[in-house]
Amino acid sequence: MNDFLLVRKNLFRKKLRAILMIVSILIAFAIFGVLAAFERAFNAGEDVSEADRLVVVNKINFTQPLPIAYFNRIAAVEGVRQVTFANWFGGYYQDPKNFVIVMAVEPETYLKVTGTDFAFTPEMTQAFVRNRTGTLVGRALAEKWGWKVGDRIPISSSIFSQKNGTHTWDVTIVGIFDKNKPQADTNLMFIQYPYFDETRSFGKDTIGWLVLKTASSAVNDQVIKTIDQMFANSSWETATDTEKAFNKAFVAQLGNIALIVTLVVGAAFVTILMIVGNTMVMAIRERTREIAVLKTLGFSGARVLRLVLGETLLLAVIGGTLGLGLATLATLLMRQSLSMFVPGLRMSPEIVLTAVGFMILLGLATGLVPALNAFRLKIVEAMGRG
Amino acid sequence: MLKQIVAVTAINLKSIPRRFWLSLSTVVAVALVVMVLLSFLAMSAGFRRTLASSGAADVAIVLRAGARAELNSVIARDQVRLLEDAPGVARDAQGKPLASAELYLVVDGIKKTTGTKANLPLRGIGESGAAIRKGIRLTEGRMFAPGSNEVVVGKSLLREFQGFELGRTVKFGTALWTVVGVFEADGSVFESEIWADLPVVQSLFNRPNTFQILRARLSGPDGLAAMKAFNDGDPRLKLDVKSEQDYFSEQSSQTSDLIQKLGWPLAIAMAFGAMAGALNTMYSSVASRSVEIATLRAIGFGGFPAFVGTLVESLLLAGIGGVIGAVATWLIFDGFSASTLGASFTQVVFSFRLTPALIGQGVALALIVGLIGGLLPAIRAARMPIVQGLQG
Repeated sequence: MNDFLLVRKNLFRKKLRAILMIVSILIAFAIFGVLAAFERAFNAGEDVSEADRLVVVNKINFTQPLPIAYFNRIAAVEGVRQVTFANWFGGYYQDPKNFVIVMAVEPETYLKVTGTDFAFTPEMTQAFVRNRTGTLVGRALAEKWGWKVGDRIPISSSIFSQKNGTHTWDVTIVGIFDKNKPQADTNLMFIQYPYFDETRSFGKDTIGWLVLKTASSAVNDQVIKTIDQMFANSSWETATDTEKAFNKAFVAQLGNIALIVTLVVGAAFVTILMIVGNTMVMAIRERTREIAVLKTLGFSGARVLRLVLGETLLLAVIGGTLGLGLATLATLLMRQSLSMFVPGLRMSPEIVLTAVGFMILLGLATGLVPALNAFRLKIVEAMGRG
Repeated sequence: MLKQIVAVTAINLKSIPRRFWLSLSTVVAVALVVMVLLSFLAMSAGFRRTLASSGAADVAIVLRAGARAELNSVIARDQVRLLEDAPGVARDAQGKPLASAELYLVVDGIKKTTGTKANLPLRGIGESGAAIRKGIRLTEGRMFAPGSNEVVVGKSLLREFQGFELGRTVKFGTALWTVVGVFEADGSVFESEIWADLPVVQSLFNRPNTFQILRARLSGPDGLAAMKAFNDGDPRLKLDVKSEQDYFSEQSSQTSDLIQKLGWPLAIAMAFGAMAGALNTMYSSVASRSVEIATLRAIGFGGFPAFVGTLVESLLLAGIGGVIGAVATWLIFDGFSASTLGASFTQVVFSFRLTPALIGQGVALALIVGLIGGLLPAIRAARMPIVQGLQG
């Protein structure tokens, strides 16, 4: 009879109690898994961002426009390798409720600057640059509406209108692109800025923001300073920042998501820790005589300690693994329906590793007191007791 | 029978100190579940209240068709002129229409708690902009003077974001603005806004002759219908006309539904965990008193009093947990000020609100945990075979 068998038999000697404890641990880890996945998804923008990419927006706020002339002026700044720009389109498909992320972009340069995020093939790049009314659609968006290459689709804007009064632009899908990074989200589409700018009824020659690549991240600070100083005291002042800082600030606007996640997960873990810890203390106390017998048979104190700790560890690992499995299932189920709010919801290896760490901690923390009690147990006293 | 129930219940409750730590863990577990639930519900209720109090039934709001949010909307000058004279729009004593064409821009502010940039709404309002809205009161300073670069700020904005104190100068782009007043607006979203004179905003933000929304006080209960009919009948208009109340309730439902959809499943999942804890506690309560219960049965007590006694103990522990959770949430979160991005892409400041109805829901959840957690152990107590019980 090896120690593992003993641990297993001990754990399940009262089946109902063991199952209840496993259920509570399972729930704590399921909550942890789902919330951690949410938090990662909210901060995905930070992960996708690259160290040498900067974002230039209007200093008043990023929703305010900038003149298109800034494109050439910024391209001439020393340390800038590539620059492109985009304009928010405020898109929807057929009904204003069907919100679609559409950006009007400078066709040639935009695909180069974001080429590390998305897999644009040479054919679709060429087709997009050549076709004024062409659009490139992300895989997730195309699948959502069942769009195929060659489809002609009407895309409406909740902000802009055409000179002829309509709010709808007809565009032809010239390519459907995939992502290059797991955190990137393909629930978006690009249309040509020149086509958009010439047809819209107001705002001509203004752009939303610029994205640029620096020669290396070491010159970021220098480039940021040069650009912002260049436009200081003009009627269109700029605020330049790294893409990472920009995305981080944007997520922070939603509220302190990380804090909420930490509080809820913390509350769940404290609950479970107390319930399981108390139950284990009780379960071991019930077995006082048995432990004394084991010691009489020659089991060392250390071995008894290992047996008890092994029991709580086993409990935590069983419950935790089941909980993580449940969380994975839940994120897969929610992935589709929440793709608009939290794109890229998934169980990442980092979350799993953290969870395993928590399982070991939980197992040790709940087993510590009963294990020490068992370790210190004096045979004579224990035999005499009850 | 009643006497027996009272006696057994008393024994149950008096023996709780023997299982102090185990009982305490149940109480704390239930309290934490209730806290998580109530803090989410209070957040949702607070956000909903802020938006609900923003919308008046007797004010119409006109947006570009399909715009859905003030930020997106664009209206032309001639459309503004037509709508000001539309039937259904109320007029003041001098016969001027009570209508305000407005510009809604986003500017950067710094959030006090985090020190990060946040989107704040700057609204250029017309002459009657403040008069149209109900409950606007200046608590400090005065209204901005027409034609000057002065602003008044809502009191929630002042509380959450840096540098908007009375008399301070704020810089948006190259233009400097002076804060000359602070207003309150019945806790509505307008308290998270900055207001300035429309023509000044248009010129300093390079938006000559641009308008985004039109607000108008309605002349009577059928005013909205009249305005809608006028709008639909004129091919130059074809805008979205709705009551301000409808506009804001559409906006509030999105965010507050999302918060509730997160809060309830989380609380229910945690409740299952707490329930497992309660079951454990009660089973061990029954187990530790098995000799006692069997003795009582042997001297003629029925099974039912044992059942009731155990159930009452479980309900009491869960109930105490529920009350502690509710009180703790109330102490920590009631009135807690927070802000998030609203539908117009700007920060909406709101306060958590813990209403008696929400507390009721929290305590109810706690009692359900206690009921289910106590039921099976109570049945075991009632059915315990006497001989086996006496053997311990």
